[in-house]
Amino acid sequence: MVTRPLEFFGESGKERLQVSISYAASVAEAFWASDVARVVYIPSVTVAPVIEELVRRDGGADGVSPRVTPLSREEEAVGVAGAAALCGKLGGIVMQDNGFGNALTALTTWTLSYHLPLLIFANTRGSLGEYNSMIHSISTAVPRLLEATGIHYLELDRRSGPEDWGAVVREAANHAQMTFRPVVVLGSFWNTDGRLA
Amino acid sequence: MKRIEALEVLAELTAQHPVVVTCAATSRELASVKDSDNHLYLLDSMGLVGSVMTGLALGRDASLPKVVGLEGDGSLLMNPNVLPTGGYLKPEMLMVLLDNEVYGSTAGLPTYSSEVNVEELAAAAGWATGRAPDQQSLRSEYARLLQVTGRPGFLHVPIEAGNAAEIPKLLIDPVRITHRFSRWLASADKPSGSRETVAE
Repeated sequence: MVTRPLEFFGESGKERLQVSISYAASVAEAFWASDVARVVYIPSVTVAPVIEELVRRDGGADGVSPRVTPLSREEEAVGVAGAAALCGKLGGIVMQDNGFGNALTALTTWTLSYHLPLLIFANTRGSLGEYNSMIHSISTAVPRLLEATGIHYLELDRRSGPEDWGAVVREAANHAQMTFRPVVVLGSFWNTDGRLA
Repeated sequence: MKRIEALEVLAELTAQHPVVVTCAATSRELASVKDSDNHLYLLDSMGLVGSVMTGLALGRDASLPKVVGLEGDGSLLMNPNVLPTGGYLKPEMLMVLLDNEVYGSTAGLPTYSSEVNVEELAAAAGWATGRAPDQQSLRSEYARLLQVTGRPGFLHVPIEAGNAAEIPKLLIDPVRITHRFSRWLASADKPSGSRETVAE
């Protein structure tokens, strides 16, 4: 559990908070609190703490647990996790935002067209704190790609605390089920307690 | 064996199973043979049959019939990830690969399967495999692989190139497929006599 102070900027100006849960742990807690039946993931160093928290809270280790499964490509994740809805369950994906280039056809022709709720949490690589000049080329465009294809997304960053991140992920899961559509939460870990690539 | 001849057998064999069907000619021809609520037609998600099968196999109630996928060689080779994923996760499912060595709905352009043995690829990834070049072996190999437990099954079915003539396009709103298939899946643990076809 992280207890070091975090700085973030709210409406009232610069605030300094003592938090009792990390951003990654808050996201993981929200997935399980939302009754996600299975989480599939594609690895990323930035999103790895979320995966580790999901696995730990599900009684697993080394990246695998009864309800957490690694996959090798994002479009496959959309196929596997989207199918959970046909069984009356909610599937979840944890990934990195540059993978939306791989996932977009599956997201649109499968989950969007077949009205399948799906919760996706993706860390962002297209803005502040990113060292890799190439990854900006896809990641910066991701919000516009999602918007152009009618996939609902929500954005989180340093300006809100871990509890807010968790609340947004929980409500995104609810929103996915209410709208029978995939919902994406984009999280920028820059200037949080998270790990950057 | 023509694709539609294989599908005539498979429509009968899969009547009690959730069936994920690849897009275009295969879905159309199966629907022309028999359209049923247990058919999940992927109308445009080429390459996704194995992934959707995996998700269904992992999410279904263990007492329900095994998930079957009807896949094409072009579609499988568009997302061959499904083979190592199946070998790793070991979902209880059976993929039937209808292999005509071409993209049947895309002007008959060649796939790799004339040079690459997809059955060996599946075996190397840990799937239980079989081969069925005619209707008789299709029945026997299907029955054998359906009994496999602890790893997925892969049935390689060589077929002739070409599509059946005068088969209409499958113009269904995908959400109707979702509705009828999920309703069928929810009732699939009932005795077969009590199952209902969902009225649309």
